Amino acid sequence: MVFFDVGSAKSELEDYYDVVIIGGGPAGLTAAIYAKQSGLSALVLEKDLEGGYMNLTELVENYPGFTSIRGEELGAKMAEHATHFGANLYTDSAEKIELSDGEKIVHLESGKKVRTKVVIVATGSKPRQLGVPGEEEFRARGVSYCATCDGHFFKDGHVVVVGGGNSAFDESLFLAKIVKKVTIVHILEKPTADARLREKVKANDKIEYKPLTELVRIEGDEKVRRVILKDLKTNEEYSMDVDGVFIFVGMVPNSQILEGLADFDQWGYVITDENMETRTPGIFAVGDVRSKNLRQIITAASDGAIAAYTAAHKYFE
Amino acid sequence: MALLGKDVAKQVKEILSEMEDEVKILFFSSDDESVCEYCSTIDQLLSELTELSDKLHVEKINVDEDPDAMERYDVEMVPALVLIPKDGKDRGVRFYGVPAGHEFSTFLQDILIFSKQAKPQLSEESVEKLSKIDKPVDIKVFVTTTCPYCPRAVLTAHQIALVNDNIKASMVEANEFMDLSARFGVSSVPHTVINEKHMFVGAYPEKEFVNEVLKALEV
Repeated sequence: MVFFDVGSAKSELEDYYDVVIIGGGPAGLTAAIYAKQSGLSALVLEKDLEGGYMNLTELVENYPGFTSIRGEELGAKMAEHATHFGANLYTDSAEKIELSDGEKIVHLESGKKVRTKVVIVATGSKPRQLGVPGEEEFRARGVSYCATCDGHFFKDGHVVVVGGGNSAFDESLFLAKIVKKVTIVHILEKPTADARLREKVKANDKIEYKPLTELVRIEGDEKVRRVILKDLKTNEEYSMDVDGVFIFVGMVPNSQILEGLADFDQWGYVITDENMETRTPGIFAVGDVRSKNLRQIITAASDGAIAAYTAAHKYFE
Repeated sequence: MALLGKDVAKQVKEILSEMEDEVKILFFSSDDESVCEYCSTIDQLLSELTELSDKLHVEKINVDEDPDAMERYDVEMVPALVLIPKDGKDRGVRFYGVPAGHEFSTFLQDILIFSKQAKPQLSEESVEKLSKIDKPVDIKVFVTTTCPYCPRAVLTAHQIALVNDNIKASMVEANEFMDLSARFGVSSVPHTVINEKHMFVGAYPEKEFVNEVLKALEV
């Protein structure tokens, strides 16, 4: 499938914005749309590509208005929506938020600085590592955390997917289009993926699901050759030949930038009040980086809307 | 049928309207489909792009007819795209393969940078470190067009090349150059290879990327 992503090719940066949004996923882009519609100037900093984790989602089928849409397409649409209303999208990474005289100064990786009144942190989360022997050693030699990126290197091969959540099942369905066989291993009896994804996986004869199975070790030579699995019912270990290992065992929040400025829950997610504001006035956290129950595109968008609305009324009226 | 849909073409046109100076794209191509499966795709993409801006020009170099061209321009494989700013100097920035998918955004960003004196947008610290390099450096960033982390790696590599004439940086579309990818054991992208021996995987932040370049020169 050929597609053309135009990204955020514009590259001008002002010295001051009313709102600086760190992260260009659904939460950040929605915050930008709402900030602009409230008459504020808004900058969205994205270090990779607008859309964030949506770019790694094969199909999104639970965002209202779209029965089924490719993740990157929805991401591109949201980015276009934000720029349409005049938000400035800029490729750079925020390294530090400095408080100074009622203003905030956001320091960027390129050495540049931007002044702002309000910072909305929408930095999302990143894949959690499994923590088994061989995982580090074979990273980039058959171990991957991104099926969309790396799936094609395992064409006609056999891959094992670790995890039982929505990501594991969604990515398995994507991989099944490329590889010969996908084996999903999950330490629990029942997958935590949605019923709809479970049914799709069940109906796909290229995908095998092994419940109560732990991946204990990854082995190989110059690349991955096999994994050692453990049957948790019998505690027996056995070997399975594979070409690749895809790991989707949850996420860890990218919340480091708020250290000293916000409180965190036990897993490192940012604690906010119901209006998305952290304990530091004028600093908000939205989307997957925030401590909450349901992390979805729609709830990320909702967070972004609430934060921008609150910021506009509290700091600019 | 057009490669770029109507909506995308409209957005591209708006982006290219920000170009200041003219930019030339050298397109190294071959009519032999066994050598260059996607040359016709690039041909079409470039002709659609030049329709959208008068500041964008394409010079097609057919390597079947001019076999020495690759050596003359220091181009290793086809298809290759080389960007040339107004002053006509080759700044070492290359795309091997179709810049489609997420890499299309990289290509557009590079075009804008080249239209604005091809000035690297790196920190002063990075520029200072890179300016001192007096040996040839070859950076290859292996990508797939569906990888959202890859454009950042390619852009950083390209900006690094802009700092110093000793540095050359290329995007390599891994699926189009399977043999080369296999040679460097590419199985996860972005996968960066410096001077054919030093490698790292992932989109490293600018500072770390620059440090990897320096490290590659030590070994």
